Amino acid sequence: MKAPAGFSETSLVDPFEIFVGPVFERRENGQRRFAFVVDDRHVNMRGVLHGGMLMTFADLALGAAVWDATGNAPCVTLNMQTQFLKSARAGNLVEVAPQMVRRTRSLVFMRGDFAVAGDIIMTANSIWKLLNAG
Amino acid sequence: MTTASSALPPDAEEISRGGFNRFVGPIYKLGDSGPGGTYRYAFIAAERHMNAAGSVHGGMLMTFMDVAMSRTTRLAAGARSLSTVSMSCDFVGPGRLGDLVEARVRVVRASRSFVFMSGEILAGDRPLMNATGLWKIVL
Repeated sequence: MKAPAGFSETSLVDPFEIFVGPVFERRENGQRRFAFVVDDRHVNMRGVLHGGMLMTFADLALGAAVWDATGNAPCVTLNMQTQFLKSARAGNLVEVAPQMVRRTRSLVFMRGDFAVAGDIIMTANSIWKLLNAG
Repeated sequence: MTTASSALPPDAEEISRGGFNRFVGPIYKLGDSGPGGTYRYAFIAAERHMNAAGSVHGGMLMTFMDVAMSRTTRLAAGARSLSTVSMSCDFVGPGRLGDLVEARVRVVRASRSFVFMSGEILAGDRPLMNATGLWKIVL
């Protein structure tokens, strides 16, 4: 799949992310903005973007932002909370600019608004544990 | 550590018939423990479900719980059209390649328009996820 204008393809290593990808990114204010194009694999039988794909993209994008903020520190997701505001369909470009809310010695608190053409379709908050922090 | 057997129980019925469910599946419904009880689902962790650290990817576990709670909303409330309002997932422990991963979903309350659920995901006796979910019944 061709990258949307202004984006380049994100390098993925997790087999599940490669399986559901590709995912794209572009630099914005020194941080990465992430995006994916909803295709026929990502929707349910009513043609609506599956919550599972959206949560997988959220885990990927917020996790990549934790990596960027910590110099690639190994980390795992402890918790993720998601709210589904609006549906999306095949062909839509879903975008997020992850935000770091707080970082402690062992935890990172992230959030993201996931939007299609500026309309928020999902918000996600996730808590990450830094594995080498004890 | 115990290894979860990869053998599906004989009462397993595939529910991933189309779309993203089928793409990431197969996902199965298992025989449940009856009215007012727990609804049970399963999938077998394959290479495509993993992360680079050798654990089942969190996205797959959240997808599995989303499928399990959606199906439970249909079964428990007779809903034909529904949508996820919110989910909260705690990642308790890692799932491994080859695990028979099982979800157990309990309906906390079903009103006319909403279904409130709690659920867990296990591999054998190892807990992988703890979750709550709120679904809206559209039709």
